[in-house]
Amino acid sequence: MRKTFNIGLIAFAILTYLTLIGLPTRLAGATQPVLAVLLALFVYAVLRGPARETGMGLGQLLQHGLLIGLVAGLLLVVEVGFFNSLLGDGVKIQPVFDQIVPLNMAAMLNVRAGTVLNGEVSPIAYAILALYLALAGVAGGLLVHFTRSGAAGSMRGVHIPGTRWFTILLPFALFAFIYYLGLDGVTTFGNDKNIIRLLLVLMATGSGLFALRAAHAGLEQLIIGALLAVVLLCLPFVLNQFQNSVMNIVFIFVMMGLGLNIVVGYAGLLDLGYVAFFAIGAYVYAFVSAPFSSPYISALLTGMGISPQSPLLGYWSAIPLAMLTAAIGGVLLGIPVLRLRGDYLAIVTLGFGEIIRLFMLNLGDLTNGPRGLLQIAQPTLFGVAPAALTTHLDAQGWIFLLAILGSAVVAFVAIRLNDSRLGRAWVAMREDEDVAQATGIHLVQTKLLAFAIGATFAGLAGQLYAARQVNIFPENFSLFVSIDALALIIVGGMGSIPGVVLGALALKGLPEVLRGVDEYRIVTFAVLLIVMMIVRPEGILPSARRRRELHSEDAELPVDEDEQLEGGHA
Amino acid sequence: MEKQALSKLFIRLFGVVVIALVVWRVVTVGIAEGYPTSFWISQGINGLVLGGVYALVALGYTLVYGILFMINFAHGEVMMIGGITGFFALQFAAAQGWMEGSTAVVVAALLFILIMGMLGSVVTGVTLERLAYRPLRRAPRLVPLISAIGASLFLQYSVLLIFGVSPHSYRKPDLISGGIRTGDVFIPYTGLIIFFASVFLMLGLYLIIQRTKLGRAMRAVAEDKDTAALMGVNVDAVIVATFVLGSALAGAAGVMLGFHNTVVKFNSGFIPGLKAFTAAVLGGIGNIPGAMFGSLILGMIEALGPSALGIPTEYKDIIAFSVLVLILIFRPSGIFGEILSEKKA
Repeated sequence: MRKTFNIGLIAFAILTYLTLIGLPTRLAGATQPVLAVLLALFVYAVLRGPARETGMGLGQLLQHGLLIGLVAGLLLVVEVGFFNSLLGDGVKIQPVFDQIVPLNMAAMLNVRAGTVLNGEVSPIAYAILALYLALAGVAGGLLVHFTRSGAAGSMRGVHIPGTRWFTILLPFALFAFIYYLGLDGVTTFGNDKNIIRLLLVLMATGSGLFALRAAHAGLEQLIIGALLAVVLLCLPFVLNQFQNSVMNIVFIFVMMGLGLNIVVGYAGLLDLGYVAFFAIGAYVYAFVSAPFSSPYISALLTGMGISPQSPLLGYWSAIPLAMLTAAIGGVLLGIPVLRLRGDYLAIVTLGFGEIIRLFMLNLGDLTNGPRGLLQIAQPTLFGVAPAALTTHLDAQGWIFLLAILGSAVVAFVAIRLNDSRLGRAWVAMREDEDVAQATGIHLVQTKLLAFAIGATFAGLAGQLYAARQVNIFPENFSLFVSIDALALIIVGGMGSIPGVVLGALALKGLPEVLRGVDEYRIVTFAVLLIVMMIVRPEGILPSARRRRELHSEDAELPVDEDEQLEGGHA
Repeated sequence: MEKQALSKLFIRLFGVVVIALVVWRVVTVGIAEGYPTSFWISQGINGLVLGGVYALVALGYTLVYGILFMINFAHGEVMMIGGITGFFALQFAAAQGWMEGSTAVVVAALLFILIMGMLGSVVTGVTLERLAYRPLRRAPRLVPLISAIGASLFLQYSVLLIFGVSPHSYRKPDLISGGIRTGDVFIPYTGLIIFFASVFLMLGLYLIIQRTKLGRAMRAVAEDKDTAALMGVNVDAVIVATFVLGSALAGAAGVMLGFHNTVVKFNSGFIPGLKAFTAAVLGGIGNIPGAMFGSLILGMIEALGPSALGIPTEYKDIIAFSVLVLILIFRPSGIFGEILSEKKA
């Protein structure tokens, strides 16, 4: 009972947090139901484990759920009442808690803001809130009961014939629906169509990965893969500018994630300054293609009798240059850190990323400083802008198409590398450097190759990013890009290529769908990151090897789940 | 083997060249600029103050790393929360009229603010350990790091959402708003307080670790968790105590930095945290005197480096990170780094 009471306290803390960040203000009339659903899910999540282990009966489950709900609900009511009495007395709480305003409290109690200000909220409103939350706790308990004794328990292990084909056909159905939504005159979803269509695109692409997994290896997988590729390549022509611009950033991050995956996932070198190579790729392309390039380069060109107004190199001819420069950057970073291990490596690479950014910011003559490099040339198709060829492909769609192609090339190289001698050397090095060296792996060469190849991919991604942005500034290349890239390979599943795609969809795509609740984007993402690490550290789509590694450890420590439940004892 | 010797020789040679270049640059540019001595002294004092703050934060990184072998990426945010809590304590004290009282009252009020800030950080640090790190104690090393990155983002943006965008400005009481002026050298009181308070707190920490039972337990856990547990050490309690100590120091740093810089924001812990971590690595992470020494070196380099080398102050971060990279090339586990880190890393 004490434990359950503590869980109730945690639930109360979570609800308080949601109030403090002003969620009720945004939700308005929907506050009470949303909070109730959240509480019910929370109760479900905490009670599920112990229910399975101790075989709690329905009565016990309901009791626990009710207790959690009551504790959380009553405490919340006391808290809201306290804030309301302050607000009613005309005390300004805002200098301390920015979001505690009458509107927020009113949404919580489902009354009008005026009643809070005048201090005339009826006790019934409070009672309803408490009742709502108590019932939510009970609902959570019920949910545990039904998912346990009902369908899920008995169906585990039973094969349902349709599911595999459902998984395989789902992405195609979704793509068809997306196409339908884009037709002229279709008004489904009204004003939200843009966002919902984007969400569907993300879901379709993600389910495509699962379809590939569900397909039997061999011809079936090949056919489905080819069909998915065709559909994916059609997407840029179907989507509108906004959806394309989100999807191309997703795929640019896929390219980057695949590169970082080589450094961190395969070779086990924790690199927190990966953005440096992304920046190098972007800036190199900007140097050779932006007419308003750096003062230094402009002067240099004028001195050589070349007009600085026309791009020096086109997109395609700049690719080798960007890749080569990034690779050189990778080797230059690699040499000094060859002897470093683990966390030392992390901080030095982080420092390297910052150094590159600071150079871009401060070398005004070369990089134009914080004013950035403007009007970077767009990639063309044999000298023709694709927008001139077809009306179905806008500028962002064209970048999206290039990003898909780039990702495909990079993914192919990554797969082949993983299966190569070099890939095995990387894995050996990751597991144990000393043993790897003893078996004849040349550590220096292997490490430098990992850095260089990873950097090359990032350079390629950076170049495309520069073309997408048209104007680039040093702020585009902050530490957060590195963190995003690292987070996406970890969420997706380290060392796994489909995982990278899924991670990019989830981390770069989904937040765009949630634009409406923009303020809560980063907080939600941060919580997800922590929860993910606790619940499923191997990522959503892990590579087989990695999953085994992480779960053999779990098997030795069966107490793990108990520990999580005890939250609140500290 | 021959190759190894060759690469060692190469690294030595490289080191000599770098040092020669730096000396040449200092002689030709830094000295030729002809700054007055008082300028160097003021800059040196700034460096010591900065180093003191870094040291308080760096100790938190080093303590946690020494025991758990994880980078507590959110430690800078723990410090920031100390600063924010201190700000509200200051508001409260000012509302009670304590800041205009007699010297004794103001000193007592400042101590109250400091302690509140430390408390705020301790609560944050311990909660963090309980929720985000403890479930991951047996996981591979990258996993807690990612969790810590998540925690760092969460704390930053929660503070932004809960307390609003506007920066919180500390108002110094008259007692500490001035400074000492001798000749051309000006030393603000806050700088003096920061330096001496950090030395005092570091000494306290050193005594706790070397002379108390808790300290002995901490050292035992750092050496080997499982064996320490067999000897009757409560490992969980020791780890919590480590977080308490580290967070308390960070909270003190947050409050003092608030008074010194007068502004606390949701992201004002990030860069100092990064620097403090750099300092901890510089000294050899996991090593307590190393963290103190590394922080003072880093503070001095940041304050003196740009003028000595005759380059703009915007490059001070570049200098700091370059020094880190250079030192790690020659001593891969920091200045005071132990061979131990080779084994565990």
